[in-house]
Amino acid sequence: MSNVRDFNWSVAFAWSLLTIIGLFAIFSATQGPVSEFLPGYIQNNFFKQLGFVVVGLLVMIGVQFISPRSLLQLSFVFYFFGIILMILTLLFGSEINGAKSWFSIAGFGIQSSELMKIATILAVANYLTSRRNISAENIRYALISVIIILIPTGLVIAQNDFGTAIIFLALIPVMLFWSGLPYGVSLFIISPAIILYLTVLGWQLGLLSALVLTGLIFFIQRRTWLTITSFVTGILTVVGVQLALSQVLQPHQIARITAFTNPSFDPTGAGWNVIQAKTAIGSGGIMGKGFLEGTQTQLRFLPEQWTDFVFCVIGEEFGFIGAGLVIFTFGFLFIRLLNMAGNHKHPFAQLVTVSVVAVFFIHFFINVGSATALLPVIGIPLPFVSYGGSAFLTNTLMLAICLNMDFHKREFSIYR
Amino acid sequence: MVGLCLVVLSRVFYLQIIQYETYASLGEENSIRQEFVSPARGLIYDRYGTLIVDNEPIFSITVTPSNFDEGKIPLLASLLQVPDSVIGIRIDEAQRYSWYRTSPLLTDVDFETFSLIQENIWQLPGIGHQIESKRHYPTDMIASHIFGYLREADRQDYEKSEDLRLGDKIGKSGLEMIYENSLRGDLGVEFLKVNAYGQSLGNYEGERSGRNPVQGANIITTIDAELQAFVEDLMQDKIGAVVAMDPNTGEILSLVSSPHYDVTRLAGRLDRDYWVQINSDTTRPLFNRAISSRQPPGSTFKPLMGIIGLHLGYVTPETEIKNTGGYRRGRLYRDIAPLGDYDLEKAITYSSNTYFYALMDRMSTQGDFNNWSNLVKDFGLGVPNGIDLPSSTTGIIPDSSYMDRRFGRRQWGLGDLINLGIGQGVISVSPLQVAQMTSSIANGGFRIKPHLVHSTQESDGTVRYTPTVHEKISWVKDEYLEVVKSGMKGVVQEGSGRLYAKTEIIDLAGKTGTAENPHGFSHGWFTSFAPYDNPEIVVTVFLENAGFASTSAAPIASLVLEKYLTREINRPYTYNYVKNWVPKEDNSQEVAE
Repeated sequence: MSNVRDFNWSVAFAWSLLTIIGLFAIFSATQGPVSEFLPGYIQNNFFKQLGFVVVGLLVMIGVQFISPRSLLQLSFVFYFFGIILMILTLLFGSEINGAKSWFSIAGFGIQSSELMKIATILAVANYLTSRRNISAENIRYALISVIIILIPTGLVIAQNDFGTAIIFLALIPVMLFWSGLPYGVSLFIISPAIILYLTVLGWQLGLLSALVLTGLIFFIQRRTWLTITSFVTGILTVVGVQLALSQVLQPHQIARITAFTNPSFDPTGAGWNVIQAKTAIGSGGIMGKGFLEGTQTQLRFLPEQWTDFVFCVIGEEFGFIGAGLVIFTFGFLFIRLLNMAGNHKHPFAQLVTVSVVAVFFIHFFINVGSATALLPVIGIPLPFVSYGGSAFLTNTLMLAICLNMDFHKREFSIYR
Repeated sequence: MVGLCLVVLSRVFYLQIIQYETYASLGEENSIRQEFVSPARGLIYDRYGTLIVDNEPIFSITVTPSNFDEGKIPLLASLLQVPDSVIGIRIDEAQRYSWYRTSPLLTDVDFETFSLIQENIWQLPGIGHQIESKRHYPTDMIASHIFGYLREADRQDYEKSEDLRLGDKIGKSGLEMIYENSLRGDLGVEFLKVNAYGQSLGNYEGERSGRNPVQGANIITTIDAELQAFVEDLMQDKIGAVVAMDPNTGEILSLVSSPHYDVTRLAGRLDRDYWVQINSDTTRPLFNRAISSRQPPGSTFKPLMGIIGLHLGYVTPETEIKNTGGYRRGRLYRDIAPLGDYDLEKAITYSSNTYFYALMDRMSTQGDFNNWSNLVKDFGLGVPNGIDLPSSTTGIIPDSSYMDRRFGRRQWGLGDLINLGIGQGVISVSPLQVAQMTSSIANGGFRIKPHLVHSTQESDGTVRYTPTVHEKISWVKDEYLEVVKSGMKGVVQEGSGRLYAKTEIIDLAGKTGTAENPHGFSHGWFTSFAPYDNPEIVVTVFLENAGFASTSAAPIASLVLEKYLTREINRPYTYNYVKNWVPKEDNSQEVAE
């Protein structure tokens, strides 16, 4: 049995800090003066979250007592169980905010796609590390891994939850890259996302980025077919996005996509969220307006301020100090976890930890990016901070698994 | 990854530290709503302090849809005495506008309905009221052309003024228009804390403080309310205008244009049918004939001709000109005064045209035409009179350059000028200008500026007096005035005015006139002043299509003088005659005026 001193207390501290900041923000967003304008079930969100935190703490502690080997052994069982759960959700689940991703057990709504994130990470990590000769360097194994990820992705899209689908898709380059996929190919896989983003900002930027990325891929990989494919894909992305924006999409759809760069185009419609979110954060200044004192929060100008826009509540009421603390804590968490992954001898543990960091990071970046109008508004929660039982427990479980593997790393060794 | 974390951190730094000012004010704007509080419009008084225009509250019933219970529609409809469907539609509209903001449900409800709603307010959640005001006219006088009406401001008005809000009413004619800025007062402002739905959460307590509305200035007019009502009564069912003014100060005592419109029907909710009706009426009730009508002055112009003739030395009081039935110069200019020799006084009394044809002929042929024009303008004709009402006319007093413009160079001649001597031809004046001219004759040759407002009193007590003009017309000598005034006295003693204007009660002088009307009956003029020795009032009457002015306009003027000077009427016969008078056949060509 491991010594308690081997437990990574700093990561656990970061988790606690984010959770507590989250509780303050959710309290302010649902129990503050604003509660006057909120329906009762939303006011109760704070108390529910408090319950989830207690459960999360038990999960965090409980997970430390299981052997990491069992995670490895059971990973495919989890995966198939998860797929079945998602199909059942799709058939019998209930729809919330347009996404049919909820099923209820004993009165609690559970988002099956959240649990599926862990199962998918474990399954892919297990597959890619199960035998010495399997790695993403080989295109066949890489494709199988991609398929393992795309099955739940497809189900999530079928559930109409695009935010979560982005998280699944983001796992592809991260996991394959870590498993040995060449740099150039990895870069090729993520290049469409970069080009797409820059094309929305301006087609010239998109074109430039397509050329630069193709050049980089050629420089790294020096393979003609890859370079040509990359070039063609890049150009097609730019042309496709530009066509979609100018010809295919309706003005209101374009407005929703481009609202983050130009919210004043439709200030009461698509631009509303962006304007109010920026106003909330910007008006916080250095010190913030004070707990329960934010006018944007308390006068109900912020949409979804207990989940997707919770960062705005922090920014407004606790200012740059509060917002900076959140960003700093996330950065600290990521670095500690990556450090942890580097210390693992077993590739499964490395891959799982890195994937978890990727999931956290993408959540963090998209959530804060949406709130600060760096990115289009994509509704996904901020890990540990936003209200939401499934997300909070899943994220805590993922972190607990990373801590568990680190805690037990001596008995979890390839040499044993 | 660390790089992207830094991107996010610097983005937050940019928004919170660098752009702080922008977003802090945006955030504040978001949660504060500026509400305006309308000031009470200034009141209007007559010259003796009688309140003649005040404000009357109008009650509007309002609804806040978020608090309203739709099950109460039948109750509400029965209290307001309108069909359920009307209330249903109005509530739908209010909901579409805003669920949380208060919208008007029914405006300008009568007080009984308002009270009924108030008694039942406990069972009508979400229903409230708003008190606005409309103009109210407490006296008998109508004076629609003096007061003018208020209308909702239009786009152009909003562009001109920052203080105006949608739905504000502003003066669109009369004193309400000219004194709009004084009467309106200053808008009050209060800041309310609001949420994202626009729901008001009480007063904002912060750095910005509101201000109370400042009541509009009260206006003390020069109008004699009792006289005005009397003149309106006399002018009922007639088409024309009466101007009464103090010849020494230019204060307008009464100003009536007939027909009038009912200004009370334009005061509250706009009565669209009535508005269309008065706009399409062929007698043009919105037209202020007293200041805007342009007509030849006819024989009322003769006294001034005499004064100019004396001044320029073409005639002396003793000069006699023989009337042989007309004045022959190229053609015959008819004169229907009795045949014989006329000096100036007699020529005015019996209105001999020959005398003035000859005078105008001499002035024109000896190069004094432009001189004549300038001297006429010294009496307020053909120049802006500066009265504090909109759209008063300047009229036309021709000079050679005007004639050149009108007819072309060398396209006009003596034949076009001789007629001017008797106030016909290319000469036009308003009734107000005739009164102004008469005032300058009556007051001993002083130029005055007609005005309706004596002073304005602001709510802080500041009083602003309208500056009056009283300056001697330098070339006018008392001996000239004595001759023409005595001629004018003769008019009512033995001339054309004797029939209906002659009275022992007051010592008046006057002059009749006929404005030739190419479209029908001639228009009748009578201008007069009293008492003869120390004039206190000038009255000018203009009647359209009146025909013979001495039987139509003259008795009206004499009654107005009597009413003002004695405060009563002791000639019921004349009063009844005027009340029952109808235009007769145009016989002015047969009888000398």
